[in-house]
This record gives sequence, structure tokens and C-alpha cells, in this order.
Amino acid sequence: MSGLWLSLAQVAAILLAAGAIGYALAAFLFPVSSRRSERAAWGLALGLSLLAASVPLAFLTRLPPRWAPFILAALSLAASGVLHHTGQGASSLSPRERERVKGLMKPTHFLLLVLVAFGVVGYALRALTEPMWSNDFLAIWGLKGKIIFAAGAVPRRLFDDLSLGFSHPEYPLGLPFLYAAISFLLGRWDDHAMALLFPFLQAATLLALFGWLRRRGASRALALGAAALLALFEPLYSAFLTGMADVPYSFAVLLFGMALADALDQTDAFATRRLAFASFLAVSTKNEGLLLAAAGVFLAVLALRKSRPAWRRAAAAVAAPAIVLLLAGRLWKGSLPLRDFDLAYLGPTLILELLPRVGESIHTGLREVILPAWPGLLCVLLLAAAGRRAPAGDRLLLLASICAVAYLLVPSLAVPGPAWLIRTSLARTVCALSPLAAAGLAARLRIEGLKD
Amino acid sequence: MSLRRAALGVASALLLLLLLRQNDPGRLGRRAGLLFRSAPFDSKTRRLNGTAAAFDRQFSVFLESARRNLPAGARGLAVLGVPRTNQVLYLAVYQLAPTPVLVAPEQVPPGWLLAIYGPERPAGWKVIAPVWKGALMAPAS
Repeated sequence: MSGLWLSLAQVAAILLAAGAIGYALAAFLFPVSSRRSERAAWGLALGLSLLAASVPLAFLTRLPPRWAPFILAALSLAASGVLHHTGQGASSLSPRERERVKGLMKPTHFLLLVLVAFGVVGYALRALTEPMWSNDFLAIWGLKGKIIFAAGAVPRRLFDDLSLGFSHPEYPLGLPFLYAAISFLLGRWDDHAMALLFPFLQAATLLALFGWLRRRGASRALALGAAALLALFEPLYSAFLTGMADVPYSFAVLLFGMALADALDQTDAFATRRLAFASFLAVSTKNEGLLLAAAGVFLAVLALRKSRPAWRRAAAAVAAPAIVLLLAGRLWKGSLPLRDFDLAYLGPTLILELLPRVGESIHTGLREVILPAWPGLLCVLLLAAAGRRAPAGDRLLLLASICAVAYLLVPSLAVPGPAWLIRTSLARTVCALSPLAAAGLAARLRIEGLKD
Repeated sequence: MSLRRAALGVASALLLLLLLRQNDPGRLGRRAGLLFRSAPFDSKTRRLNGTAAAFDRQFSVFLESARRNLPAGARGLAVLGVPRTNQVLYLAVYQLAPTPVLVAPEQVPPGWLLAIYGPERPAGWKVIAPVWKGALMAPAS
């Protein structure tokens, strides 16, 4: 084995090891009876977070960045004490029950599994055909990761060099740190093999979706169906978005939405921890994470009448990591304006120009993004109409809707004009909400009485 | 069958068909073929053959050649002989990272080198290394 195949095997080994360590640590995010699929998905998120966090930690403590992930993983496992409990929570089913579950697999399930596999293999082929190449990978995410890896530090020029302004110094560094961490372990920068991260994230997203739907009472057919449709969603799982932050962010958004619904419905004592972690993940991946956190607090406040302690805990779990990350970024990077936006349009001098800009945003969005996608959107609306009110599903759909509307309206503050930002970002940012929307739609269909 | 179930069935089936159309097996097969054919090459060659370099593959070879010939400790590199488009800028900055890069700047910062794409050789600069389709230059004095 040589060339690309060897590199892919090395990256796969790193990702699998991160997932395995995260799986063990996920015992602190789930009750013993949790499903393997959901725990594996959160485990990968935990493992990758540890990997990414090892880079700034190594720089701060002057540890060799190559060894920092091992030290961090060992410390995390030792501190949590899960080394003695890794067998717990793997499955709530007895061997006899497991046999019965296996026996329940029907031809429909196999067909849906084949569709899921087709979606995953298809995305792997799109992601791995060539080194990551999209503009935003070269100009932002990959560039920062490569500079951090090659410099063995986070050079100040990433934040204050005007000639690097196009790389958006104000963006969070979660994904560049992850790229750098993988490269430190590999011992080289390999922007082709590292693309394997993205099919892994897709698989984790599907596992999270399936596991959560099953835990919340969906039939296996419905959970697999939702996973199959999401796996085949090419606008998100495309060659172009590979390397950019949208696929990792879509995973974080799904985890956030599911944890928020769990926390507000008080499904288990661990939901608030999951929510805090998902909030941290979303805010450290993309700036949109702050909008998501604000929408999450809003939804928590809406649930005020149902349970005061639950909304308080949920709101705190969402807001605390977001505020901590925001302050830490401010202290570290200084005050960095949002490069693409001019907030003066919200002020007294330019407010009169805002309304026509909002109109331009909506018009361009409708004409160039929403109308061309009408067949798919019509199907989504039909699926929404076919479901029934379900608190968890409704919350996820409301969360997705708030974010989508914000993505349509925020470009009205864009410096180069609303139409430019709508054309370059609306489709892909809305696509990153698709796992959340899939979970919300399927959760509403659950009560339709669909049986396996 | 209830209206809801009918809507669910129709919408799911249509959505599946729409999504399957986007996952054309023929195109995926061609991608698999390309992946297997290019896998034995080194990563630089794979990048040179990729989409990011498609606007001017010779320029990408020039950048790689400049990167390999760059003296250790170079403070920065000004790339001349190309238009300052986003494609050129992003590829140059990425391919030469972590060395600071400016594309077609009005002024070259002190201590920086030039990477000239094409035959032009500005006065006051000397060639320190010939590179593919161009030259690396340093101040003459």
C-alpha cells in the first residue's frame, strides 16, 4: 500500500482512534441505556473536539503538538474514570433481546440501509476524488490550518495582517485546529487524505439522526428513511463543500437541536451536558453558531411556561459556552469586525437604506435559491404537513426556520450588497440545516403510527 | 388510506427520486475511476491536476517550483506577472503557506523576494533561481 491509499489509512486510523476515545468519554453524556449509534456519533464529536483542542493546548503548554492529543486523551479518560466503565452503556439490550431485534430486520430496512450506504459511498467518492479545492478551503479553513501546522503556532498575522483579510480573521478556529491536529499526527500536511474527515462527519450525522429518532420512539423504517434521504442530499454532501465548515457545522447543529429538545423535554439527566457541549461545538465551528445559540435561548424561553427549571438549565447550557468562547476569542484576537457586514445599516444614518436592502435580499433569495429548488421544497412542505404536532419535532423545525430566515435577511447588511452574499452563501448555509430539518420532520411523522 | 399517509408516501417517494437523480451512478463511477488512476501519484501532482489549478495549470506548477526553490527564512514573496483575481490570490497564498504572499502588489515590502510568472525581469532585481515559466528574484543591491 502506498501513495494516497496509505495516507487514507493513516487518516482513517486517526479518526477511528478519536472516535473510540470519544465513545468512552460519551458515557458522561448519556445514560447507561443509550443507543450505540447515538453514542458513537457524539463520541466522534467528542474525540474530534479533543483532537482540535490539543493544538492550542500544546502551544500554550509548549508540549509537542504531536503528543498533545495522546496526553489530553489519557488525562480525559483518567479524570473521568471511564477506563473502568467503558463496557457500560454500550447497549441496553440483553443478548436475547438483541437476537430478537436482529430478527425484526425486514426487506424494507435492508433497502433503506442500501440507500444509506449508497449515499455514504457517493459522498466519499465526491469528497476524495481530488485534494480539497473549494475557494473557502484554500482561502480560509485550509489556509489557516496549514499556516498553524507549518508555523507550529498561531501567528498573530492570522488576525492582524491586512493582506490576509480575505481569510476572515473573525471566524472561529475549530476546524483549522482540527486540520492542524490531524497533520501533526500524520507528520505532514495532506489536504487530500484529510478529506476523509468529511465522510466520517456525514456518517456520524446519520448515526446521530437514526439513534435520536429511535430513542424518541420512531420506528426503524422511519429512522432509516430519514437517514437515507439525508445521506443522499448532495447539495450538502458535495465535493464543493468538502473542506469548508458547512458539513462539520451541520453535524453540530443537529447535535445542538437534538440536545435542546431533550433538555426541554427533560428526557434524561444528561441532556443539559449534551446541550452545553453541542453549543460549544457549534460556536467554535462557525460564526453562525452564535445565531444558533441565540435561537436556542429563545426556544428555551418559549418553553418557560412548561417547566421553569428546565428552561433555565437549557438556556444556561446554551449561553454559557457561547459567552465563554466569545470572550476568549475577544481577549485573544482582539476586536475583529465582521468583514462582510456593515452594522451601520442598523444605525440612524443608514437605516433608511436597510429596507430596500432587505427587499433585495428576499427577492434575490427567492429568485436564485428558493424558486430553483421548488420541487424539493414542495416535498419538504408536504412532509411537514403530513406530520402532526410533536413538541420535539416542532422545536427542531422552528429552530431551523429561525436560522433559515436569518440567513435570508442578514445579507441585507452585506458590504458588497445583499445579492452577492445571497448568491455566495444562502444555499450552502441553509443546506447545513438539513440534518436538523430531517430530524424535526421525522419526529413529527413518528406519531403517524408508522410501524416497521 | 388517510390523506396524511398519501401525502407522506408521495412526498417521500418524490424526494427520494429527486435526490437519487443528484447521485448519478455514472458520474460517481467516473469519480471512482479518477480516484483510482490518480492514487499512485504524489499529492502535489494530484493537486496540479485538480480543480483548484484548472484556471491555469502552468501557474500552479510555477508556484510549486517557486516554493521548492524558496530560500530558507524568506520573509515573504510578492508574486508578479498574474492578475490579482481571487482564484490566483487564494491558490498562491495557500500553496506557498506559511510564507507570507502578496499578489501583484503596488509595493514590495522590504526584505521580500519576487516570484515572476512570465518573461519580465524588473530592473533592480537579480534572479536567484530560475523556476518553471518564471524566476525567483532578490533585490540587486
